[in-house]
Amino acid sequence: MALLGFLIVFPLVVAAVLLAVRGDGARNVIVGASAVIIGVASVVLVATNLGTPGVYFEFSSVVLDYVCTGVSVVLVGIVLSFAVRYKNLLAGVLALIQLAGALVLEFAFAHEVEVPIGLYFDSLSLLMAFIIGVIGGGICVYALGYMRDFQAHEPADAKDRRPLFFALMFVFLSAMYVIVFSNNMMWMFTGWEVTTVCSFLLIGYTKTDEAIANAFRQIVMNLAGGIGFLVALYVCAIQLETLSFVEFIMLGVADPALVGLAVVALAFAGITKAAQMPFQTWLLGAMVAPTPTSALLHSSTMVKAGVFLLVKLAPIMLMSPVPSMMVMLVGGITFLLCSFMAISQSNAKRVLAYSTIANLGLITACAGVGTPEAVWAAEFLILFHAIAKSLLFLCVGTAEHHIGSRDIESMDLLFDRMPRLARFMMLGIMCMFIAPFGMLVAKWATLVSFVDMDQVALVIILAFGSAATFMFWAKWLGKLAGIAGEPENVEVTVHKSEWASLLLMAALLVAACVTLPLISAFVVEPYVVSVYGILGQGITTDNLWIASICVAIVVIVLFAGMGGSKARKVDVYLAGVSRGSEERAFQNALSGTSVATARNWYMDDVFGEKRIAPVGVVFNSIIMAAAFVIAAVAPMVL
Amino acid sequence: MTILITVIGTILFGLIAPVVGCLLAGLDRVISARMQGRVGPPVLQPYYDVRKLFEKESVAVNSVERTYVACALLFACVAGGVFFTGGNLLMCVFVITLSSLFFIMAAYSSRSPYAEVGAARETLQVMAYEPMVLLLAVGFYLAAGTFNVGDVLALDVPIIATIWLVFLGLLFILTIKLRKSPFDLSMSHHAHQEIVRGMTTEMSGPTLGLVEIMHWCENVLFLGWIGMFFVWGNPLSIILAVAVVLAVYFLEIWIDNNFARVKWQFMLKSAWAVALVAGGVNIAFLAFM
Repeated sequence: MALLGFLIVFPLVVAAVLLAVRGDGARNVIVGASAVIIGVASVVLVATNLGTPGVYFEFSSVVLDYVCTGVSVVLVGIVLSFAVRYKNLLAGVLALIQLAGALVLEFAFAHEVEVPIGLYFDSLSLLMAFIIGVIGGGICVYALGYMRDFQAHEPADAKDRRPLFFALMFVFLSAMYVIVFSNNMMWMFTGWEVTTVCSFLLIGYTKTDEAIANAFRQIVMNLAGGIGFLVALYVCAIQLETLSFVEFIMLGVADPALVGLAVVALAFAGITKAAQMPFQTWLLGAMVAPTPTSALLHSSTMVKAGVFLLVKLAPIMLMSPVPSMMVMLVGGITFLLCSFMAISQSNAKRVLAYSTIANLGLITACAGVGTPEAVWAAEFLILFHAIAKSLLFLCVGTAEHHIGSRDIESMDLLFDRMPRLARFMMLGIMCMFIAPFGMLVAKWATLVSFVDMDQVALVIILAFGSAATFMFWAKWLGKLAGIAGEPENVEVTVHKSEWASLLLMAALLVAACVTLPLISAFVVEPYVVSVYGILGQGITTDNLWIASICVAIVVIVLFAGMGGSKARKVDVYLAGVSRGSEERAFQNALSGTSVATARNWYMDDVFGEKRIAPVGVVFNSIIMAAAFVIAAVAPMVL
Repeated sequence: MTILITVIGTILFGLIAPVVGCLLAGLDRVISARMQGRVGPPVLQPYYDVRKLFEKESVAVNSVERTYVACALLFACVAGGVFFTGGNLLMCVFVITLSSLFFIMAAYSSRSPYAEVGAARETLQVMAYEPMVLLLAVGFYLAAGTFNVGDVLALDVPIIATIWLVFLGLLFILTIKLRKSPFDLSMSHHAHQEIVRGMTTEMSGPTLGLVEIMHWCENVLFLGWIGMFFVWGNPLSIILAVAVVLAVYFLEIWIDNNFARVKWQFMLKSAWAVALVAGGVNIAFLAFM
């Protein structure tokens, strides 16, 4: 338990120190060292508890309860001050509702309810702890170099607000640990709200009009989700008389009708946090923040908190049709439509954002299905998505600083200009969508679990969504793969800290793909067994090993098998005499010079946002509203 | 054990499939010629062509193209090995998609405008047929109760009896997968199309030879998918399956010679509509009945 406490408190201490440190050198040392310490502590926690069915700690403290309430008040104060300064009524009202709700709950109801087991961890928490500590820590290190470049691009008189930036990153990590380790739902709720406000501040970091507007969109949606969480807490405290998460899940499995409303409300909170349609706009808007923020939000924190909660609820979903139907449909529709919309985007970060939302949709749908196989798949989706997505965001961030654009069309010839970075990016992309890499193995398991439950709609959604996924990744990959001549290598100026993080992510990715069967046996299976009592692996271990062998082959080809061919080099065919292969110039019919240009396909009239987004927003809003009504009314009618 | 069988199967497929595929390609050329009122080349002409390609000088626009093509060939063989040793159908589907991706990357890497157009179209073709292919695997699972292809040998009735709609859907996208007209958008063997070689514009000599061999392997694998529908516990059913495969191949050649290339919009919409109707309805029927 000391280790859990350390993981929660240590990042907070680091954050406080960072807030005071203004020098670059000192910050580099502190961030680097603390990230390593947090990462190592997380790995130690995972390694010493491999295969654990769950460890529960008797720990309750009235002082901590008050601290949590105090934190909630402070958070609302922050939101209110921003709401007043930027005259955003909705955010202010929602924050006040939440404050009132939290205070009434704490002093009128929750006080009577005792939660003897305050902290716990099981194999799912361990998986999350690994992601938060190692990937989150890696992103913090990456941010050192990135933010130095970022500050250099700012106007000379701009205030250096990096101390706040790094402090927020570490608070974020701490809050995530609170969410995954707390059994007391009041504490969990506090962690939940801290992540909401942290990301609010990080998105608004640049203080441009766009950043502020997007930050407020985020806070409004997530405060609404937080109110959903509060509703669930009220139901728990009043009706069930428990605020222990483990007990809540046990009660829910035993009598699904009793917890119907609470589960729908919690799932709603998870759905907002996981940016499912109709709430996808907050995550898209979050791109205005510096890239490390996006990496953190997309891979190891924030959205992962949402799906973590949903996956935790999966056993109840299996028993109770209303929340299950809501979560499945919302997730499935989001996966399909966001995969479509990703095709029409040329901004690399926007493609990544849509892909994140789509994959979270898949995880959400898995949680809704709720079978052991589906949970197995969801856990692997969480793991591989976290690693691959952080790698990709970091690559795009570095590329942006060196080629001056985040547009995929500008990444022409990246394989020549930034050979190492392009390979990392290709590795990340391949992991996202193609077999035998981890993400697709997880999708494979997802498909099996959908078929086994006769979820025909989800099977069809998965089939079409995967096809769209192939399209938008493959054309990006193709853009990167182009090779011509020997353009100037521009990657020599990339900071060491950035390389270190990129290398860490790439190594993790390869290691996780190759050792997938082992991760299944030691981390994922124990959780599935501890919850359901049976094994739930939709794919045989033999097939997993075949996949990991194929991964090894592809990685070797990508990093060692390129170049060294003895073939004679010639220019490409351009239907005219070539005047420069690199820029594809050729002699035209009038003896002038023509340049051949080619752009990727975006098919905006088929897959454009304007056409597709409203469909998802309308459908999912109706589904969720219906689920709330049914869950609220059903107990009275029956 | 499964791993060992898959490796052996891959090697055997890599040896046998090119021979079978080469003969099929030769048949294709003879039959096409007869349909067009020509005599046509000898059946072994594709073999002579490829042998000549390997004797040519090694010329390339970059140093990685052949690596990608070799990977595409390797994974096509792995997919074939998985399928013909009775392995997991989904695994086979995923690995052959990986093979397609490597081929697409080979085309993109050349940065030839023609190859890029071809590669973009090929990507679109993959997107067009992929839903039906996944639904084929799901349909197979619902009909046979397993994803393992080998288990059809234990069935009392062939799976065509329960998933004939899926079979029709597969027939439709088979034309795309075999790159036959009217769906030969990314590359073609008809000299009259607006872009003929597309993806392989910059591939020559041994590289092009590898591409040809890869196509032979792919064709054998896809026709294997067709044959799978007609095999059950009765050993004689293999003969029936081979007969059906040959009939389907003839049908594809006939389609190839009688339809003009369509635009991508039509291909995408029709392929998706077919997948939705043929695949979706059949699967829903099996799941709920």
